[in-house]
This record gives sequence, structure tokens and C-alpha cells, in this order.
Amino acid sequence: MIKLTDIDKTISSKFQKEFILKGINLEIEEGEFVTIMGPSGAGKSTLLNIIGLLDDASAGQYLLGEEDLTSLSDKRKAKMHKEHFGFVFQAYHLIDELTVYENIETPLLYRNVKSSERKSLVAEILDRFGMVAKKDLFPAQLSGGQQQLVGVARAIIGKPSILLADEPTGNLHSAQSKEIMELFQKLNDEGTTIIQVTHSEDNAKYSKRIIELEDGAIVKDYNSQEAQHA
Amino acid sequence: MFKNYLKIALRNLTRNKTFTFLNITGLIVGMVGAMLIGLWVIREVSVDRFHEKGEQIYQAWNRDKVDGEIWCWTSTPKPLAPVLADDFPEIVNYSRYSDAGNLIFKKDNNFLKGNSFFVDSTFLQIFSFPLIEGDINTVLNEPMSVVITEELAQKLFGNDDALNQIVKVENSIELKVTGVLKGLPTVTDFEFEALLPWSLMVQLGYADNSWSNNSVATFLELEKDVDVTALNDKVKNVTKNHSQGSTTEVFLYPLEESYLRDNFVNGKPAGGKIDLVYLFLMIAILIIVIACINFVNLTTARSERRAKEVGIRKLSGAFRGMLISQFLIEAFLLTAFSTIIALILVQLLLPSFNTLIDLELSIPYSQPYFWLGVLVFVVLTGLLAGSYPAFFLSSFKTSQVLKGSFKKIGSHFSPRKILVVSQFTFAIILIASTIIIRQQIKHAQNRTKGYDQSQLIYHNLNDQIEQGFVSFREEALQLKLVQGMSKSMSPITYSTTNSWGMDWEGKDQDNKQLIHRFGTDIKPVELFGLTLVAGRDIDVTKYATDSTAVILNESAAEIMGFDDPIGQTISDGPKYHVVGVVEDFIMGSPFEKVIPLVIESSASWFETFHMKLNPELNTKENIAAIEQLFEKHFPDIPFEYEFVDEAFANQYKEQERFVTLTTLFSSLAVIISCLGLFGLSAFAAEQRSKEIGVRKVLGASVARILILLSSDFLKLILIAIAIATPLTWYLMSEWLQSFEYRTTISAGVFIVASILALGIALLTVIGQTYRTANLNPVKSLKDE
Ligand SMILES: Nc1ncnc2c1ncn2[C@@H]1O[C@H](COP(=O)(O)OP(=O)(O)OP(=O)(O)O)[C@@H](O)[C@H]1O
Ligand SMILES: [Mg+2]
Repeated sequence: MIKLTDIDKTISSKFQKEFILKGINLEIEEGEFVTIMGPSGAGKSTLLNIIGLLDDASAGQYLLGEEDLTSLSDKRKAKMHKEHFGFVFQAYHLIDELTVYENIETPLLYRNVKSSERKSLVAEILDRFGMVAKKDLFPAQLSGGQQQLVGVARAIIGKPSILLADEPTGNLHSAQSKEIMELFQKLNDEGTTIIQVTHSEDNAKYSKRIIELEDGAIVKDYNSQEAQHA
Repeated sequence: MFKNYLKIALRNLTRNKTFTFLNITGLIVGMVGAMLIGLWVIREVSVDRFHEKGEQIYQAWNRDKVDGEIWCWTSTPKPLAPVLADDFPEIVNYSRYSDAGNLIFKKDNNFLKGNSFFVDSTFLQIFSFPLIEGDINTVLNEPMSVVITEELAQKLFGNDDALNQIVKVENSIELKVTGVLKGLPTVTDFEFEALLPWSLMVQLGYADNSWSNNSVATFLELEKDVDVTALNDKVKNVTKNHSQGSTTEVFLYPLEESYLRDNFVNGKPAGGKIDLVYLFLMIAILIIVIACINFVNLTTARSERRAKEVGIRKLSGAFRGMLISQFLIEAFLLTAFSTIIALILVQLLLPSFNTLIDLELSIPYSQPYFWLGVLVFVVLTGLLAGSYPAFFLSSFKTSQVLKGSFKKIGSHFSPRKILVVSQFTFAIILIASTIIIRQQIKHAQNRTKGYDQSQLIYHNLNDQIEQGFVSFREEALQLKLVQGMSKSMSPITYSTTNSWGMDWEGKDQDNKQLIHRFGTDIKPVELFGLTLVAGRDIDVTKYATDSTAVILNESAAEIMGFDDPIGQTISDGPKYHVVGVVEDFIMGSPFEKVIPLVIESSASWFETFHMKLNPELNTKENIAAIEQLFEKHFPDIPFEYEFVDEAFANQYKEQERFVTLTTLFSSLAVIISCLGLFGLSAFAAEQRSKEIGVRKVLGASVARILILLSSDFLKLILIAIAIATPLTWYLMSEWLQSFEYRTTISAGVFIVASILALGIALLTVIGQTYRTANLNPVKSLKDE
């Protein structure tokens, strides 16, 4: 489904070109749950951003199914975001001025979903995440874990086929992390492709495939469950 | 979707109270200023625009070469109007308008003065001054009739019906009230309280047929769609044709232009009040722009906070256009709200503003155009304030914003600096200009007047007073109420008559310099405290020949070019001989050159008398005693005197009003600019709180941090000073050119304005920054 071929990401400083990513070749199938790991500064976030069309690669090709996403206009990117991607951020990135309910509703507004349908969709997800009682609170009134739940709910309400998460539990303690990860697993079981970046071995265990990045290159790509068995 | 926009806009506004407060206050203050100016502008451009035949009404002007320059003026010969109407079929109607003075109206024991004019019987058919009672076609037909305004009617007759009542005018003639006018609208330049028929003027023998006596205004009603340029070609020579040797040309000028564009330079229209209208319109626009700059600055300064929202919304599928409309809606919401508050404030402030500018402005709530104007105003202001932030905020790249690399981009935002600089440039221009205008008025006020104004009063002189004058004077002198009393041609504050036809020995016959006339019946030098430079005072009681004596002022003596003026003969109709020369004194505008003047003795006519009060008496009691004496001598005449120094000071009124307005509006500009600066420095301080914390931990003092934080802003103010100084210098030099007697612009003005601007800015910034600088560093560092 996702196919990256010879992806480079460079930044040019005054005198030289510096590679952040170099020669990335990667295929991810529909329905996979992939974890990207690696030391700080390895280029994990950069890779995830390129996949999520938040950043452009400097060289190489990016195919999503049949579609070439290598260099898209902003409008097309916005359309792809709407149709395919959901994002979960380490810093949650909720809109402070909106309530839980309204934060989750926002993507639907831009998809021209009818008001009655919006209501039922949001109600459904609130129910599923056990946040019905909190729906009128503002982000500042929630705990970190609760905020991230809202972040995930907002990411998936538009039913994206791919969910991208950059250290989604980086600011959370272990019990909260576990809750989010279990949620991811459930979503993955329902068919959502998930790509997450994490430093946590515990979180990585939830995914089936682990990609290790070092200095901008893939150094390991293995099936975590098999590796455990081995 | 719209509901969502509205909701987040409202939440944003209520959540960031400081920001909203600064933004709204700035906008409101700016709008109040702009609206007040707007109301005044509306009034100015509607003066005499309400006449139904307005487009067809023209006034005849004279035009002639005087002293090498073409002059234009509106007083015309009395026969001009009927001759024009006879000769040119394009002219369907005419009315002359001739000042009859402030006449005494008397009904039983009730008497008062009313500003009166002689007009032709067609006057009310041409101009739309509606009558409450009477018929516009006939009210002015009979010579012994008068049309008065309802106010005058009310004062004379109380609640009785005024129509057909008899009123005694100037204690001599009895006129029948044939019409009562509705009070004149506030938007007219006409100032009559009573209209007298032209036929009465004829009957009284005042209606001369001379083509050389320019004494009345001539109004003409033209046919619809007349080619005025062609007509002007035809009427040009009418005076020349009727008056041998005259070089005066006539031209027609539209009434609707007369109020705003009545200034002619060398025969060409050269603005007039319209210049002031434009000037204040510009100030209004500047004030709004300054307020909008606040909005732009404060909004973009907060962009970091909004950036995340923009990123999320874009990720959620929002197109840029949607975000732009969202931010614009926020701006419109703010402007609409501010407009409502501003309107309420304007309504509350209007009475005081009216007193200040001596007009009766009102908000035209009932006019659809007003609400349309308000709507346009809201939309324009909203666009001006909102469009840049909307485009700026919506342009953020999702990846940059959400990846957290955004801060670096935001902090070197230079358009904001440019805006702060322009704001303060405007503010400094306004401050410096206000100081210069004040200095110019002071300069004129401090000008040596050349005579002694203290204890000097004047009063109108009519036939009745003239008859009893000598005995009144005798008694006043005897009772030692006054030191001196003299009839005179006009108040000493201005001359009412002049001529370029005076003759003297050795006069260059091409010299058409205007020489003004003044005159008293007795000892002018002594009465007014003039300073003789040659010769002596006029005194008819001592010198029999002094009934034909004149005194010149230095300017006149210089123009006439005598080696020794004493004994020279000057012919002004009668022949006069010069007995003295006095130092120049200000008779007329203190902003102008001193006029060349001849002071003629008792042979001339008189319209006023002056009294020099006895300085040893209490002024108030003295005046009361004089009034009693006056009543005894002239029981039918109200005692309405004027202090010369007060009348003189009145000449500054217009300039003083101008300076009050500029002070007011420059203060507004400064206040708004400071609100913006306050907001910006608050945000800068907030943004740098971590840096400040680190610096403090490293040992920086509060003072050092204050300097660090304010120097950025002070640099901007310094740039503004550098731009504003030459601009103001140029603009105000131009303005000063309009005064003959003017001050020079000193560097001190700009030093004061700069210190003021810097001081205010410093106070604003430091007040805000001080809090941050004093913050416990542990707190700001933990926040991150
Ligand atoms: N906009 C940028 N300009 C310059 N360098 C950048 C930029 N973005 C990323 N980098 C550099 O690219 C490298 C990879 O960054 P990236 O954020 O992808 O690392 P990461 O693997 O996500 O690290 P972490 O685990 O700390 O989040 C780093 O060395 C970083 O300094
Ligand atoms: Mg990262």
C-alpha cells in the first residue's frame, strides 16, 4: 500500500548538504501495525512526516497504492489528509478554545458531514472512549492521558485508512500509555494501518513489525513477534 | 460551519481578555474619533445643499485686478441683479441680500435685537426656507412688512400668534409680520432672523443705483441645464458697460460650491473650507488606520498561539479559504462590536463635542444612508484590520507548526515593526503639528497690539443714539464713569471700509493699494492710547480746521511715500490734511500684516462708539452705572456693549478651535498607538520569559533586563522620530505660509515631541515589562 523508493531528505546548510534520511526503501501493506524506533535524531519523525505528507522528500518516489504522492500541491495534500491520514501527536495538539466534543467534531466539519450524522458519529466515539461525561470540558481541564484519547478520537473520526502517531505516549505514564496502545491494537484489528514512532519497548510490543532507524537509514526491519520467539 | 467559526471567535475573544480589551479599546477610541470627524464632515458638505433649486442657484461675484493680483469678492452693486435678469433670459429670478444690521425690534415693552437683511420679494421662492405662516409668493411684497423666524416671534410675542402683528423696528418704523419662518436649519450659512422687503429699502432711500457701490450679495436662479460657462462669457462685462472706467468683471459661481470653495487666488478657485474637510478626513483615516494597525500587530503577535489551531484545521481538511474566512469573521465581529460601542459613546460625547466646535451636530439615525455608511465602515475597517492577519495566519505550513519549529519563523517578523514605526510616525506628526499650531496662536496673541485695550468697550451707534450722544457723553464724563468717549466708524478691532481711490501728491496712478478708513469724532490717539511718531492728535475742540484732519498709521505713510507727512493733503472724496502719524496697531486679523490706515476726523459717518472706562472704579459696578445712564438717555435701546479685548480675542477663536481639535485627535492617536505598544510589549515579554529567567539566574539585574526588553521598541520609536521630523517640518511650513504674521518652526518643537513620544512609549513598555522582569525565574523556567 505504501511504497517508498530511494527516499532522501537533505537539508542544505551554508557549505554542505546534510542527509537526514538517506536511501530509504520501505513497503508497508494495508492493515499493518508498524513501529519505527531508533536513537534520538535518527530521522524517525522526519520519515513519519514524509509518509503523512507533512514534509516533502528531497529525492525518491512515494507511492500510495497506485497513486504517486511524490510532489503534490497543497490542495491535493489537504485532500489526501482528509481521505487517508489520521495524526496523533506527542503534544496532543488539541485546540484549546474548543471543547472535547468540538475538537473531535472538527474534521467532520471540513468533510461536510451533516449535523445529525456528526452528532451520532461523535457520540459513538465518545461512548467508545468512555469520555461522554467529559464532552463539554476544555483540553486544559483534562489529564494528559485523557487529552491524548481525545487526540486519537479526533484522528480516527474521519475513518482514515492510515493512522500516524509520533510518540503518542511520550508525555504519559505507563498506565495511560497502555490504554492508548490497547486502543491502537483494537483499531488495527478493525483494519486501520498504523505507523507509530516510539522509544518504548513496551509500546513496540503491540505492533507486529519494527523498523529500526539509525543516522537516517534503516538498519533493521523485522517481525517483532517472530523475533521474540527466536 | 459558520456557527463553529462564530463560536471559536467568541471563545478566543473571551479567553484572551487582555488582547481583546486592547484591540477593542483601540478600535473604539479610533472609531469615536473618526465618527466625530465624520459627523462634522457630513455637516460641512451639506451646508446649503438642501435648497430644492440648489443646482440652479448662482451667486454673482466681482473680479478685478488690485495691486497686480486678481481679487474676487461677493459684494456687488445693487442694480446688477435686475439688469442681469433683464438682459439674459437664462436668468429666471433674482434676489439681492443686503445686511440691514442688528436691528431693534419692539413689541409693547418687549424689545430685542434681530439680525436683519433686505431681500427681494423672490427670496423665499429661490431658497427653501419654509414658512410656518404666510405665503412665500407674497410675504415680502408690501414695503411695510417683515418676515421673522419662529425664535424671534416667540421672543417678541410669546405664545401669541405673530402673524399680522405690528412690530416697531429701530423705534422708528412700524412693520407688519407677514410671515413666520421655521428656524433656520443648522446646515446653512445664512444667518438672518428677520427679512425685510426690498421695497422698504427703496422707500427708506437706501437703495441707490450706483454701479460703483459694492454693497449687496446678488443671487440668481438660472434655468435648468444652462451652459454656465457660456453665460459667464456673456455676463462678464455688464459692470464695465454700465460704469464708465470700471475694470470690474462679473462672474457667476454656484451656491453649492460657495460654502466649501470660497477662496480664490489670483482669480482662480483655490479651495476654502474644503481644505479643512480634507485635512480632517485624512486625520480620521489615519486614526482608523492606526487602530487597525493595532489589530494587525496584536493578532499576528499572537500567531504562535493560533498557529497550532491552523495546523490542526488544515490536517483536518480545511482549505486555506475556509481559514481566511474564519479569521475575517473574527475581525468583523470585533469591528461590529466596537462600532456599536463607539456609536453609543459618540452619542454621549456629542453635546460636549458640539460645545467645543460651536456647532450642532447630530447622528442622523433616521437616514438610511447613515446605516449604509455604518455598514460600509464596519466592512472596510474589518477588512483593513482583518485581511492581513487572515492571510498571514492561514499561510502557516502544517508541518512547520506542528513539528514545533515555528518559533524561529515568528520572532523576526518585520512587517510588525514597520507598522509600529508608521503608527508612531503618525502620532509624532500629530503631536509636533499641534505644538506648532499652538505656538503660532501664541505668537499672534503676544504680538504688540499698538494700542491700549484695557477698560475699552464699544457699542453700536444708530440715529437715535447719535442724536442724544453729546448729552450722554457729557453726563458720563461728569459722573467720571468714563475717561473718554468717542463716536467711531467701526470697532477698533476691524475696519469696515477701504478704498484704492484715495489720492495724494505724488501718487503713482497705477497704485491700486487698498487703504483702510477709520474715524472718530474726538482725540483718537488719547482715547485708544496710540503712539504718535510725528505730529499731534486730532482735536476739533482746539483746532477749528481739524474737522478735515487725518492721522496716518506708519504703513499708510510709507505707502504714500511722504518725506514729511505732516501737512500733506489726502483726497478721499473730501480733502483732508495730515496732522499726525501713529505707530502701526493691529486693526483686523492678528495673523495678517498691519493694514495701511487713515484715521479721519468728524466729517465722516459713524456706526459705533467707544468708551474708555474709568480705571479707578470697579468695572462691574461701573458698567452697571453706565447702563443705567444709557437707559435714562435711550430708554428704547438695549445696552449691548462689547469689551474690545474680548472682541479681539474672538479673532483667535477659529484657530483655537482648530488647535483644540488637533490636540484632541492627536491625543487619540497617541492613546491608540500606546495601547498597541502595550500589547506588543506584553507579548514580547511573555515570549521571552524563559530567556529572562535564564538571564536572571545568570545574575542580570532587573534594570538590565528592562533595558534589554525596551530597547527593541525604543529603536522603532527613534526611527519614527527620524521620519516624522522632516515630514512635519515640511507640512507645517506650508501651513504657516497661510499667515502673514507667523512664527518660525524651532528644533525645540521636535525635541519636545520626541521626548513626549519616547517617554510615553517607555512608560508603556516598562510598565508592562517590569512585571516580567521581576518574575521569579524558577517559575518561568519550570513552565517550559
Ligand atoms: N527543519 C530542520 N532543520 C534542520 N535540521 C533538522 C530539521 N528537522 C530535523 N532536523 C534534523 O534532522 C535530524 C532528524 O530529526 P528527527 O526529528 O527526524 O529525529 P527523531 O529521530 O525524530 O529524533 P527524536 O527521537 O529526538 O524525536 C536531527 O538531527 C535534526 O536535527
Ligand atoms: Mg522525533
